[in-house]
Amino acid sequence: MSSESSSPAEFAATRWSLVLSARANDSPGSNDALETLCRNYWHPLYAYIRRQGRSPHDAQDLTQAFFARFLEKNYLAAVSPAKGKFRSFLLASLKHFLANEWDKTRAQKREGGRQIVSLDYDSAEARCNLESNETGPEEIFDRRWAVTLLERTLARLRQEYIVDGKEKVFEQLKETLTAEGQLTSYAMIARQLGSSEGAVKVAVHRLRRRYRELLRAEIADTVSDPAEVEEELRHLFAALGG
Amino acid sequence: MHINPILAVFGLGGGELIIILAALLIMFGTIAAVVVFVIWLVNRSSKSPHPPPQSPKRLCPQCGTELPVNSPEGLCPRCLMKTGFESAASEPRRNASAPSLEEIAKAFPQLEIISVIGRGGMGTVYKARQPQLDRIVALKVLSPELSSDPAFAERFSREAKALARLNHPNIVAVYDFGKIVNFYYFIMELVDGLSLWQMEQAKKPLAPEQALAIVPRICEALQYAHEQGIVHRDIKPANILIDKQGRVKIADFGLAKLLGDETRGMGLTQAQAVMGTPHYMAPEQWEKPLTVDHRADIYSLGVVFYEMLTGELPLGRFQSPSRKVQMDVRLDEVVLRALEKEPELRYQQASQVKCAVETISGAKS
Repeated sequence: MSSESSSPAEFAATRWSLVLSARANDSPGSNDALETLCRNYWHPLYAYIRRQGRSPHDAQDLTQAFFARFLEKNYLAAVSPAKGKFRSFLLASLKHFLANEWDKTRAQKREGGRQIVSLDYDSAEARCNLESNETGPEEIFDRRWAVTLLERTLARLRQEYIVDGKEKVFEQLKETLTAEGQLTSYAMIARQLGSSEGAVKVAVHRLRRRYRELLRAEIADTVSDPAEVEEELRHLFAALGG
Repeated sequence: MHINPILAVFGLGGGELIIILAALLIMFGTIAAVVVFVIWLVNRSSKSPHPPPQSPKRLCPQCGTELPVNSPEGLCPRCLMKTGFESAASEPRRNASAPSLEEIAKAFPQLEIISVIGRGGMGTVYKARQPQLDRIVALKVLSPELSSDPAFAERFSREAKALARLNHPNIVAVYDFGKIVNFYYFIMELVDGLSLWQMEQAKKPLAPEQALAIVPRICEALQYAHEQGIVHRDIKPANILIDKQGRVKIADFGLAKLLGDETRGMGLTQAQAVMGTPHYMAPEQWEKPLTVDHRADIYSLGVVFYEMLTGELPLGRFQSPSRKVQMDVRLDEVVLRALEKEPELRYQQASQVKCAVETISGAKS
């Protein structure tokens, strides 16, 4: 097992496990957790709905309506504790909603005026690149999920460097997060940063390690068991390929 | 005031009035209609469900997948996710620079090193010349970090011997292998052509006839290797080479096993760093690595076949190939059976796949 996986105790604190364990009861912690999860991962939902062929306007309405419904307790009652992933659960709920519930709620477009998530629809729409016309909604959903996950991880990573006053380092080194060999020589980067090649190597190592930690932590937030992090990583990697 | 005399002249006062009213109505009606039409046009263009014109596709130079609009920090999502896999233990592997041409030339004085053909997770491949034999070969040098692993030395001598024994027209031949300085190496047949991956980058999907010409050759290679007790474990388009004469040659037989290490518990993470695309791997390679046998290659063949025919990977609840492209419907069964999740339900021998395909295509082996 990777040494970076969290202990079970830490796991109880991750958002999805919190939500799952509070299934039956209403606890403010779990409500916040669920709402945060929704706010973080609504792009894939929007992309799914759009890929089904709905216009941006309809997709916006549907997304709002879905969240309003989703954040009510009924949905969670159906989740069995063994099936841990928030991603699968969210998609299944959306499908169920679109198939059954949309008709009922069509009349009341925005539930009680409560803006569940203040959504930046323009950016979501721009990302709905509608990559290839052969890709189905489910694939789009998973891909968007993976990209959203990466965006969040990188944002957190960048923020850490900013807080340390090292944003420039992050900018210079971020390419090493994907490059197998070195695309830009370490010597050149060292010159840019006014540092030594050795120091750059260490910095790269640290960046990549921290990136992995944050990525796994972000995934962990959406699963209920440490073992599922690897599986989820694999799944999302597969979704991004081809 | 003029109206009355006019009406009076024409007698039918009511009729005249009606005509005038009708003319006015038509006039205004037309204007109204035009206005409504304009409003509708404006409405329609603002509510267009058509996607905005797509900018040209950008591909990642490293993995070849399409980059999404606004990719995170401008980096390739797939490569980013792949980096996420690697555990700290494999970090040195990533950071070590590949040996320079000078280093390799010095280590292999019996060869003339010509150029670098490719770099992968496993190591680097060079184009070289054997002066005594006056032939061009491929020199594959494995990553230097491996030389520090004592278990590897033992595995290498065992596996490499078995690989070198493979002698088949559809398998890239191994001429020599060993360890020099701290480099484990293979000297292999150099295939002058393209890999299936490169072919598909240029044009996807292939014509069914092309796929039907390639698959039986892969089957022959697999059947032969399986009979020698060797499972490839990493059948994928990048490992299927096609030379200028159209001959099919499978590369990297058995290397996946040599370099991965499934006996180390959840060793899949390490193996991942070496093997690359998981798409072509049989489910049991993920879930029960210790039970993997030759039938995993048949699954991978199924994936490759599907992709050749349809241009896509069989992901999730995928459609039968014949529903995606114009082709012989009888082939669906062959592809789908190769893609069975349970090894017991697949074809049990590569030769069976070949037989099925050739029966349908009417070809003779």
